[in-house]
Amino acid sequence: MSLALLLGLLGQAQAGEVTLWHAWRGDERLALDTLVEQYNAAHPGTTIRPVFVPYEALSSKIEAAVPRGNGPDLFVYAHEKVADWTDEKFILPVELPADGLHPVTVDALRLREQVWGWPLAYKSLALYYNRALVPTPPATTDALLATAEALHGPDRWGFAWEASSAYANAPWMHGFGGGVFDTDGAVRLDSPGNVAAFRFVQTLAALGPAEPSGALLTQLFNEGSVAMIANGPSFLGEVGAVDFGVAPLPTVSATGRAAAPYITVDALFLAREGAEARAFADWMVADEAAEVRHRVGKQMVANTRVEVTDPRLVAFRQQLDTAVPMPTRPEMAQTWEPLARAMRRLVRGAITPEEAASEAAFQYTIVSRPSPPAADPRPWVVAAGLGLVAAAVWLAREVRGAPIARWRFAFAWVAPAFSAMTLLVVLPFVVGAAVSLFEYDQQAWTFVGLANFLDILLARDFPLTSPLSFWSTLAVTIAWTVANVVLHVGIGVALAMLLREPWVRLRGVFRALLILPWAVPSYITALIWKGMFHRQFGAINGLLALVGVEPVSWFAHWSTAFAANVTTNTWLGFPFMMVVTLGALQAIPRDLEEAAEVDGASGWQRFHLVTLPLLKPALLPAVILGSVWTFNMFNVIYLVSGGEPDGGTDILISQAYRWAFTRGHRYGYAAAYAVLIFGVLVLYGRVANRFASRKVV
Amino acid sequence: MATLSFAGVEKRYGVVQVLHRVDLEVADGEFIVLVGPSGCGKSTLLRCIAGLEEITGGELRIDGRRVNDVAPRDRDVAMVFQSYALYPHMTVRENMGFALSLQKHPETVPRVEAAAAMLGLSHLLDRFPRELSGGQRQRVAMGRAIVRRPKVFLFDEPLSNLDASLRNQVRVELRRQHAALRTTTVYVTHDQTEALTLADRIVVLNGGVVQQVGTPDELYFEPRNRFVAGFIGSPGMNFLERLEDHVVGVRPNDVVLGAGPHEAEVEVVEKLGFESMIHLRLGEEALVARVEGATPTGRVRLDFARAYRFDRATGERRG
Amino acid sequence: MRSPGLARVVVTHAALTALTVATIFPVLWVVKMALTPSSTFSMSVNPFPTEVSLENFSAVVGTHDATGSWLFGRQLFNSLLVSGITAAMGVTLACTAGYALSRWNFPGRDRMMAAFLLTQMFPGVVMAIPLYLLLDALGLLDSMAGLILVYSTTTVPFATWNLKGYFDTIPKDLEEAAMLDGASRWTTFTRIILPLARPAIAVTALFAFMTAWNEFILAATLLGDERAYTLPVVLNGYVGEFSAEWGNFAAGAILVSLPVTALFFILQRQLVEGLTAGGVKG
Repeated sequence: MSLALLLGLLGQAQAGEVTLWHAWRGDERLALDTLVEQYNAAHPGTTIRPVFVPYEALSSKIEAAVPRGNGPDLFVYAHEKVADWTDEKFILPVELPADGLHPVTVDALRLREQVWGWPLAYKSLALYYNRALVPTPPATTDALLATAEALHGPDRWGFAWEASSAYANAPWMHGFGGGVFDTDGAVRLDSPGNVAAFRFVQTLAALGPAEPSGALLTQLFNEGSVAMIANGPSFLGEVGAVDFGVAPLPTVSATGRAAAPYITVDALFLAREGAEARAFADWMVADEAAEVRHRVGKQMVANTRVEVTDPRLVAFRQQLDTAVPMPTRPEMAQTWEPLARAMRRLVRGAITPEEAASEAAFQYTIVSRPSPPAADPRPWVVAAGLGLVAAAVWLAREVRGAPIARWRFAFAWVAPAFSAMTLLVVLPFVVGAAVSLFEYDQQAWTFVGLANFLDILLARDFPLTSPLSFWSTLAVTIAWTVANVVLHVGIGVALAMLLREPWVRLRGVFRALLILPWAVPSYITALIWKGMFHRQFGAINGLLALVGVEPVSWFAHWSTAFAANVTTNTWLGFPFMMVVTLGALQAIPRDLEEAAEVDGASGWQRFHLVTLPLLKPALLPAVILGSVWTFNMFNVIYLVSGGEPDGGTDILISQAYRWAFTRGHRYGYAAAYAVLIFGVLVLYGRVANRFASRKVV
Repeated sequence: MATLSFAGVEKRYGVVQVLHRVDLEVADGEFIVLVGPSGCGKSTLLRCIAGLEEITGGELRIDGRRVNDVAPRDRDVAMVFQSYALYPHMTVRENMGFALSLQKHPETVPRVEAAAAMLGLSHLLDRFPRELSGGQRQRVAMGRAIVRRPKVFLFDEPLSNLDASLRNQVRVELRRQHAALRTTTVYVTHDQTEALTLADRIVVLNGGVVQQVGTPDELYFEPRNRFVAGFIGSPGMNFLERLEDHVVGVRPNDVVLGAGPHEAEVEVVEKLGFESMIHLRLGEEALVARVEGATPTGRVRLDFARAYRFDRATGERRG
Repeated sequence: MRSPGLARVVVTHAALTALTVATIFPVLWVVKMALTPSSTFSMSVNPFPTEVSLENFSAVVGTHDATGSWLFGRQLFNSLLVSGITAAMGVTLACTAGYALSRWNFPGRDRMMAAFLLTQMFPGVVMAIPLYLLLDALGLLDSMAGLILVYSTTTVPFATWNLKGYFDTIPKDLEEAAMLDGASRWTTFTRIILPLARPAIAVTALFAFMTAWNEFILAATLLGDERAYTLPVVLNGYVGEFSAEWGNFAAGAILVSLPVTALFFILQRQLVEGLTAGGVKG
């Protein structure tokens, strides 16, 4: 009772204050906290309450909370979601001061003749260069190529950027006259300008380090191994002891246009009308607060009256003049993955620039496929009603004649667990599954019946062998599950057999260390493993080099990427099986094996004729449960291979996640995937039952 | 202390009937042994008394009170299990005192100590069951029952996990305890020696049907049918199928060698020290005789000191 | 048992050592990142830190909020509270359910067992939003109570399953003896069964604790205040969209893993016994 009270208190918010959600960390956060303190002191009637929300959770939290009135008054987010949020009426239009804010940053927030947020700061790529290696930064792409070539040597590179990211390549696409949208405002990924840009990207990437991720760029630049990189302002805080300068990105020699990066504008959005909230937001963009944000928070502020003295920061402001605001149109969200996929293959040299452009365009048509037609929900309502009646009749017949009254006490014992589970596990799943009968598009739900299922099962939009098709993903998922379970059980049982020998020294130490992977959170270790599989700098290739093996590009080929995933998950999963086996072995008398030995059985025969059959009853439930978990193991796939190459190593669950979150919000389609996953697993459970000596499902 | 009364007690699991109309009256303080081959229903009957199995027909009374629907814990009976069922996480003291401590009985401590002293367990009171030998565990299980001073003691093959010499010792002990406490006792065993040595009265069960109820002497000397005659007594009764119209039953010690109407051939002689078992062939039938002193060889003449006759078809005694 | 040959001893130890080294290699990496005073994810073959500093740890532990209260301490407390209550509630629910499922063949029992397992097959992707709506309807949003309720329920199926398996191995005559000794069903359960199932209960509780201790997506979505956050939420914030503070992340990861790792080591024996129903020896 008192506990519930305590819990209630912890979660309670006070009325009459302005809540502000943000994902700022480090210096930015420090600046915000300073400003809030200052503001609260100066305005006794108002209390601004900033709430930090991790970036990953912020947008979904906003989308869940605001429509239900649980949202904040203000929140800070990048401008790219303005279109979504105005459509859904999450945010309200605002009045900005006439001057002092950079027009590009205001434009980014403009939609239908209104401005939808207070621009606080902007981010864009610019060119960082190591002064010791590059005295003057290249002004043109030709000069950039020449420098990159000149400085290229073993373990040293002239220029590096995130070559397979669509965001990082936008400057080149714009500079070569391409871009995501054509002049009519329609998505066009295979324009001649884009092809030219892709050709340039391929040439330039060949002169840079392999698989350049953000973390790697940081490391290489700080080591002096890379002379120049394209990066955003947050990198300023990550540069180590390097003497460096920042310049705007070069002009494209072929076209004479500037390589124009995207800018994203961090803005304050108003989610709930309120004079105090508006007053605070106005103050935040005004000179005094902007000055603090710039000085303390190291932000590139939208307020142009803030004096920028550091030449490095001046470069970012110069870059602003040529930059392009990130488009806010809903189609934009669906272009990232097709572009990134094409670019990964392009950078690896697997396809030509022309192929990359048409590949991107083709992938876009798939993810932006038109919604299925609306269906008439009436027959469905009738069918659902009949289904309910049938279920009720069935239940009544089951219950009748069963000695319910006699077992009333037993029901009382299971009731708490069962009803909690029904309410909090089954009900959400049923609701989530029901979403599969709808299509979410342009912020509207349309009832489409079984169209999502039919699209998926008939692989209507792509060939059966495409990594996007349900059936090929299912095949990968099965291969993934089988490989993992075999390795988990194989290694787990083998280690348990070794560890039970009484003459093994330091048994306790071995056992303790071997269960370590289980104790460390998997999202941490999965990231570590991804780093270890890096082609140039990963520990795995480092070890292979010691024995004279050529470095392997782990995520470039299906088989190696798959192997990397399986290795990671095997590492995560074998301790469970080892512990289960150790427990089961304790219950098996050693004299059975000794008897077999007397009967003349070899070591292997003893194991598979005596020990293994006795282990089976204990291992079987663990194997079935383990395979179900592996089947839905999202973390490893998402964090290690990320589906590379080209979505080939995605499993059903990560595919569902992508449809829901990274390929435009195809919630209905994703939910249909989830239902199918459930169906496959239930089927598996039935089959497994037949093999199980004791009933499992 | 209590009487037990069975009136038409039946037990069935679905279509399988394991007990058929058991009628039995047990007097206060009586030591009753249920005996029969495995699967005969003796353990089920015991568990019905305990309330661990529900009776599906008839009536069971303890001390005149109908207990068909009374929960085990309200029947005031104590049971010693074949496996002893000692609580592994409790010491001997806690095991023995468990029932009384549940009632917060004020005499828990003295009663446990008294029972322990009686059973020679005093020095083991703070040990855990896993630290005890088989015989010690058996005594703790008995102690746990004694401490409660229940109306009825139930024993479910309590000696079957002990070795032979220990078994004899405990048997005597049990008899002594019963003489001291005079608690109504129902004891299940498949071993007829145990039954004969312990029981005031024996109930022989076969296939869920009571074959005969009686004192050990009654069962030994006046078996009601061929099954009882064959089951009680060691070595078992000889049955000669071809001698007369009825089956003739002769106990090995009723076979008199040297003279008589029958002639048999000696096949094997087992020397057991003081006595010997002579395996004979009489016509086409095998026969065992128990003799003291010198053992014959070759062909011998023999007679029966006492013979029983059983109906060939029903097995009922005919004389 | 005969003593093994020298070759066998050597090979066994060599194999164990090799596999153990391979196992702890990635963990050493986390340690290296945590001890290296820079925020970058530096990659090389050497898993040992070249320079050592506790800078990252003090940065993570020393976080304070705008009002100056000690955030890390608060969040650590939250994590312990949420995980502890989750484990207690999950195991309590699972113990009674697992016992009933193990002992009484009541009508619908097999279906119920199947239902518990089926929930393990639900893909989590589709459940977050409906859960949010549900908690909103129950008025449990933005509260630890809501989060605890969700966590403990998600732990129930596996917990029930594991405990049921263990209860199955406890000899039935112990309960019968207790019943004859005058114990009610509940007394038998609490005085006889629960003490005997201690290893399984410890393991199940550990699992439930870990579920809550490591989860961050639901926590970030369902909790409304930084002061109410659990540690994984904060930890995940260190690896953001645009920049990553790997050093802090790794230091935080170690701090988060330490309690669970310690519990694993303490409960090693129970872990081995409690997961597979080694059986209760008399």
